[in-house]
Amino acid sequence: MNSVVAGITYRAVLGRRRVLLLILLPLVLIGLALILRAVGSTDEKATVTLMQVYAIGTMLPLLGLIAGTGTIAPEIDDGTIIHLLSKPISRPMIAITKFAVAASLLALFAAVPTFAASYLLIRNEAGIASGFALGALIGGIAYAAVFLLLGVITRHAVTIGIIYAVVWESLVGGLVPGARNFSIQQWAQTFAGQISTSDFFKPTVSIGFAIPAVLIVTIGAVLWAGQRLRSLSLTGDE
Amino acid sequence: MSETVPAPAPGPTGVIHDIGYRHYDGPRLGRGSALAALIVHSLRGVFGLGRTARAKIMPFLLAGVMMLPAVVSIAVMAMIKRPGLSYPSYAVTMQAVLAVFLAAQSPYLVAPDLRFRVLPLYLSRPVKTGDYVAAKLAAMAIALFLLVAVPLTTLYVGELLIDLPGPPHTHDYFAALATSVVYAVLLASVGVALASFTPRRGLGVASVIAIYLLSSAISAVLVGVLFSVSRDSAAAWAWLINPFFLVDAVQVWLFGTSPNNDGGYPPGAGGPVAAVAVLAVVALCVTALVLRYRKAASS
Repeated sequence: MNSVVAGITYRAVLGRRRVLLLILLPLVLIGLALILRAVGSTDEKATVTLMQVYAIGTMLPLLGLIAGTGTIAPEIDDGTIIHLLSKPISRPMIAITKFAVAASLLALFAAVPTFAASYLLIRNEAGIASGFALGALIGGIAYAAVFLLLGVITRHAVTIGIIYAVVWESLVGGLVPGARNFSIQQWAQTFAGQISTSDFFKPTVSIGFAIPAVLIVTIGAVLWAGQRLRSLSLTGDE
Repeated sequence: MSETVPAPAPGPTGVIHDIGYRHYDGPRLGRGSALAALIVHSLRGVFGLGRTARAKIMPFLLAGVMMLPAVVSIAVMAMIKRPGLSYPSYAVTMQAVLAVFLAAQSPYLVAPDLRFRVLPLYLSRPVKTGDYVAAKLAAMAIALFLLVAVPLTTLYVGELLIDLPGPPHTHDYFAALATSVVYAVLLASVGVALASFTPRRGLGVASVIAIYLLSSAISAVLVGVLFSVSRDSAAAWAWLINPFFLVDAVQVWLFGTSPNNDGGYPPGAGGPVAAVAVLAVVALCVTALVLRYRKAASS
């Protein structure tokens, strides 16, 4: 961890228009929770629907995409990364720092609002609030690592990221059960299921698969991103 | 004895060399042609034509995915002699692909010009700010229309050639074709307007897809919860939050096709309200775009 690099990265992500999206998504989650309270459906089933469809299924991948690629892709895009890479800081350390920044942003903008929204609806009944907060935290860490790696590998990180999140996780994962094993959302739900005892919520991936999968993907992606940074070439694009 | 310095010779001493520049004496095509050229250039760019090979992968991949259901449907029709996918449901079924295409390609249209500050170069020609906006919107709308209309037409030609028992679904085909114009205009104005607010392509892609995913997830959560507390009429309204179901409601109202969601749209006022909502969103986005470009052009 390098605190100067971390500080610069926080300022770059939070000081631009990007932060508007980071705030908008959790605000909508809280807003939906308030609407559900207003129409009087403050039961476990409604909360689980809100958490599965919106918090884990939509907000988490989007925030992961914006925070994960946002910590490094804009710098590579406009070439200012060269100022960072020319300093005597080890490249894997830069990748680890950027990953830590992205993961902390996701904890703040995804896990905390997830807990708050379900706490607003049903307090901590059946462990749904704490379960989904844990799921969002772990899923957010994995997303941060994967999208950071994508941002280092390709200029089209965001497009490839949304194809993974929208087409693979939602469309293919909805139709082909086997594809759910390779979906970060589903791993997040598995972790949520470890704490939650709700009858309305059954994760599809076993915890024995999810723990090694999250560990391998997160550590592997951060290490690979560090290796890629060691030989990054700044070629123009179009 | 001092000599008097001779006075400088009168008249210019420098020489302008003729290095062969020539005037353009041909016809000047004017504003309309400039607009048309900009539309064609932008439309080609959306599909990656005239750009690098890597820029062609994404649009053609997504266009290929859009064709898949049509091809599979034709094969099914040919083998088991039953109608395949219905025309009015095509865009709703493929909404994720259309949204990804919109998100991936609309920043290309506006972001580079803003980022490299070349707008004054366009505006030094007969093109006005409004023309520039119109050209970009038209290019995106034509691209989206092609993305839906080509598979629909392929499917229709396939249906005519296979000659199923019973009359062909000509009404449905033309209804879907007309609706795809509405889809194209609505999606293009929302996508281009959102993308124009940032000169960064990555953030543009993220914000367009975020708005689509937000609206579809809000609609899905509200529909699910409202159904479960049996407020069915409120649930029918909640469908309209998703832009694709909003246009589908307009299609149901205008052409009497069957709704493509579970449970249908609000009866009576639903169709006209949806149509007004589509028009309002388009007007809002076009206004935002024009204001944005007035500001960008003056800075």
